Amino acid sequence: MTHFRLRFLLCCLLIFCAVPAFSSSAGSDAVMQTMQRELKRASAALAKSDPAPYYLSYAVTDTNAAVLYAENGGLLFSTSAQRRQVDVMMRVGSAALDNTHNKSRSTGITTGFLPLNDDSDAIARVLWQLTDREYEQASSAFLTVKTSKAVQSEEEDKSPDFSEESPQTHIGAARPPVSLKLKEWEERARKISAGFLKYPEVYDSAVSLQVSENRSYLATSDGASVERPSAISRLVIQAETRADDGMELMRVESFEAPSPAELPSDTELAAKVVKIAEDLKDLRAAPAAEPYAGPAMLSGRAAAVFFHEVLGHRLEGHRQRDESEGQTFTKKVNQLVLPAFLSVADDPTLHELNGVKLAGSYDFDDEGVPAERVIAVENGVLKNFLMSRMPVKDFDHSNGHGRRQPGLMPTGRQGNLIVTSTNSVTDAELRQKFIAEIKKQGKPYGLYFDDIQGGFTITERSMPQAFQVLPVMVYRVYADGRPDELVRGVDIVGTPLLSLNNIMVTGDKLQVFNGICGAESGQVPVAAAAPAMLFSEIEVQKRQRGTERPPILPPPGSEAPSTASKTKTAGGNRP
Amino acid sequence: MSAIRSRVKILTPLFLIAFVAVCCAGLAAAQEKNSNSAAASSDPIIKAMLEELERSKSQVKMENVAAPYYIEYRISDVEEFDAEAAFGALRQDQRAHIRSARVVVRVGDYEQDSYYQQGQGVVEFAPLDDDAIALRRQLWAATDRAYKAASEALATKKAELSKYSADQPFDDFAKAPALQSIGPLARLDFSADDWKKTLAKTTDLFRTDPQIQSLSAILRFRAVNQYFVNTEGTITREGYAAYYLGLSAETQASDGMKLGRSPYYVAGTAAELPAPAKFEADTAKMLATLKQLREAPLVEEDYRGPVLFSNDAASDIFDSMIGRNILGNRPKPGDSSRTTGKFSSNYKGRVLPDFLTVVDDPTMKTFQGKTLVGSYEIDEEGVRAASVSVVKDGMLVNYLLGRTPIRDFPESNGHGRGGPGQAPMPSIGNLIVEPKEPVSPEELKKKLIEMCKQENKPYGYYVETLSGQDPRLLYRVYVDDGHEELVRGAVFNELDTRTLRNDLTAAGDDPLVSNREGNIPSTVICPSILFDELEVKRTEKKNAKLPEYPPPDLSSGH
Repeated sequence: MTHFRLRFLLCCLLIFCAVPAFSSSAGSDAVMQTMQRELKRASAALAKSDPAPYYLSYAVTDTNAAVLYAENGGLLFSTSAQRRQVDVMMRVGSAALDNTHNKSRSTGITTGFLPLNDDSDAIARVLWQLTDREYEQASSAFLTVKTSKAVQSEEEDKSPDFSEESPQTHIGAARPPVSLKLKEWEERARKISAGFLKYPEVYDSAVSLQVSENRSYLATSDGASVERPSAISRLVIQAETRADDGMELMRVESFEAPSPAELPSDTELAAKVVKIAEDLKDLRAAPAAEPYAGPAMLSGRAAAVFFHEVLGHRLEGHRQRDESEGQTFTKKVNQLVLPAFLSVADDPTLHELNGVKLAGSYDFDDEGVPAERVIAVENGVLKNFLMSRMPVKDFDHSNGHGRRQPGLMPTGRQGNLIVTSTNSVTDAELRQKFIAEIKKQGKPYGLYFDDIQGGFTITERSMPQAFQVLPVMVYRVYADGRPDELVRGVDIVGTPLLSLNNIMVTGDKLQVFNGICGAESGQVPVAAAAPAMLFSEIEVQKRQRGTERPPILPPPGSEAPSTASKTKTAGGNRP
Repeated sequence: MSAIRSRVKILTPLFLIAFVAVCCAGLAAAQEKNSNSAAASSDPIIKAMLEELERSKSQVKMENVAAPYYIEYRISDVEEFDAEAAFGALRQDQRAHIRSARVVVRVGDYEQDSYYQQGQGVVEFAPLDDDAIALRRQLWAATDRAYKAASEALATKKAELSKYSADQPFDDFAKAPALQSIGPLARLDFSADDWKKTLAKTTDLFRTDPQIQSLSAILRFRAVNQYFVNTEGTITREGYAAYYLGLSAETQASDGMKLGRSPYYVAGTAAELPAPAKFEADTAKMLATLKQLREAPLVEEDYRGPVLFSNDAASDIFDSMIGRNILGNRPKPGDSSRTTGKFSSNYKGRVLPDFLTVVDDPTMKTFQGKTLVGSYEIDEEGVRAASVSVVKDGMLVNYLLGRTPIRDFPESNGHGRGGPGQAPMPSIGNLIVEPKEPVSPEELKKKLIEMCKQENKPYGYYVETLSGQDPRLLYRVYVDDGHEELVRGAVFNELDTRTLRNDLTAAGDDPLVSNREGNIPSTVICPSILFDELEVKRTEKKNAKLPEYPPPDLSSGH
């Protein structure tokens, strides 16, 4: 968990910077005007260079962010900052072949920081400095790309490196300013985190809040000019325990909302702490999973995470041309990849579903292309990919899914992935069908996946993890009517993708999962929605357990009351 | 999942360092002075540490595994303020407050223990509130992990040692007397607004020279308070503050050679940093030297002869070539060297000319009225700092030691230092170079000229500042009339400990206090030095291209 926590902290810090006042999100004219002016000057000047850039863009992300982190009733840290990150992106050569080709993609970007005020002389200087540095990198990379293209065998996908798109001009309406009462939240986080103290078996836990308010500015040499405000607040509760056999057990719950005020109330959060702690207690006591292949049912949320990880990432356009990728779907366009009653769309233009705000909504993507609803799979047939401005064979244009975290090159990413079904039944019927299927297959029980975590729930940056599914709350559902039984350490075996074709029928209600997704182009907020699903077969095995024993001593404060009262000090007032 | 679950513990300290370097905070000065025992019992952090230490000491034990023979807790509280400006505008402005808890559990005994690989301690964040339970939870979790790791480390170490026949003739861990010392808490004391203005105003000087490609100024003010307890009965609290102010500027000569300067100031109090007007004047002067450098001739391909180092340039040399080699770092098992440094086999041998003596004295608090940031009373292993004579009349007579003994040096001399969350290692505090029969800088210049005359050289060299080990401001000093001429593109060839031992011929009477800031602040005090022979040659680095297009025009508003 330490590792996980550090990652989390690092992410927070990467996003940041320190002006506590979350003020207005109104745009700065000086920033955009200076960007435009310098962009014009640079484009004109560099056009005379050899090799010359054919595309140049400036992307500024102005972020006000705060992060706080509490454990066991104490605040581990709380900080806030402002930062204006600028990315200079340049393409040297031609759209057919440029410096960003293949493995050389990172040569398309140079990152720096702009002044926090609107001093246009200083802004212009930084842009000039970074542009010159980027040109040096991009031009030399282009020569290398040209050489290796000449000496290496032909690539399968001969698509150009960059698509042409009609330039957009857009100024997003100012959002209501995010108000963050930091002191109040510090106290709330302390209080929520102290909820775990009652559970001695929870040996590690944390409550963190990350609030950011952004305004991004994009100006490109092909004429786009886009300003977008955005804001996200994320509260994460996590806890860990270890079974007596050394198996580490973890629960993570996260909540996303546009502002801290829209996050769940203390009562709800305190209840979530209790639920997590009780789940962990139950998991500790639960039998370890046995190897099993047979009927399984996924809750809507579990199915949403499953589809995001297993299907969604494989629909990302750029993966279809990277020869080091599995390219599961590259040659399956217009073929059946899912049961015919399922359709999958990614729709960033949708803001709310069943009353839940969707974290993956946006109007324009990070390349200035308008967001589009993309029907990726229609009635089971693969139709489209999530495209950035990196074309792939037969898909020449972006469909507004080029997304990134500041500092990284955009790639095709998910926004709001929505799985719909034409073969649905009520929850009660679904369970009946589940039990009938268990009986039909002659199995003693089936598995019900109530909660699955993935690279999407737990933000991981490196690629293989982003596809990972980690079933957490899994129950045996017995054919003979015994009560459901929690099991721990369930690992899905084989290619989870194959199991998608074992989906028999679904529930009739979409459940939404909001989260932050990590991949090559960094962390972006996303949502996934799906109905509950019945699988004729999922194969699982017992997860390899850790070797460390549970803690030797009980945690401080949880011993006999006499000791506990003795250890109370001034700061330790809690109910 | 494995990536999430696997504990890459080694990342923890690294992360903390990185974080702390990123972080920071300014508060009103509040110095507390208390009698030790009363302070120890009234300090809520120490109280909570002692409570958990007591519980761990008496109860942490696994079946079939030895109980710990030693446990220590160190809490490091860091307040930091970071700001940066470039081209006249502020780009970064951040305060941070963070606490780390470092726990070491040793299994075995003083003679042979588990302080090896994963057994070298565990780091956790610690709560900022003085909440006893929250703090003890972190210590408890870290103790549990540290004890388990220590047991494994001892087994690994024994297996490793069994490959070698020779017995280690010294203990793994030095005994140290129990010490109780509660020092005043360090606090940052400065005006953030004033400093932010100063950074912005100073970097606005880029306007004075269109050929300056970048100009930025950075400050990092840090107050560190460390709380330490161990099972030997040591209880200490000690704090320090370090104020770092740095400048960075770049330009390019017409042939494309990149020329940069990055002077810095480190002080123990904000008041000892240059005042805004002085800082601005220094910056203007620095920009002027960059202009001179642009126009300066390239150094000749090869020069071998006398070279005079200013006290500033000499401080870098002593820091790297003496400071790093007198540390009693123990080599890996199986390596019979005394230390890992270049002076591992020089004990009682000559490492400097006989007119130089080197002392490391952390107990010295000021010199020439300046606060020495390398001062401290108690090191991060709870041992009282001692003044150590390291080099006497050119002979190496001692090493700087923490509680990890090396051959012939069984005890710590109070130099086990570690930044927040870091394992303590032998480090310099205040490294003082004392010359016998020093002469004035003018006299040194005369000597330089005389030596050049004898060798029929038209000029010798004078180094004003270094960047790493390369000369940044290097001047020819002409024999005929003593005038100086700046050159560019020079590097030293074979400037090493051997040169320092054999080719130094004189030292000045101009000791400079050079405060340094890293994970641990340190100070070098040293005079100008004169080499009778050193090789200066032209850099082989290729010149960069000039900017593809001119910098943006400046608005007329300024």
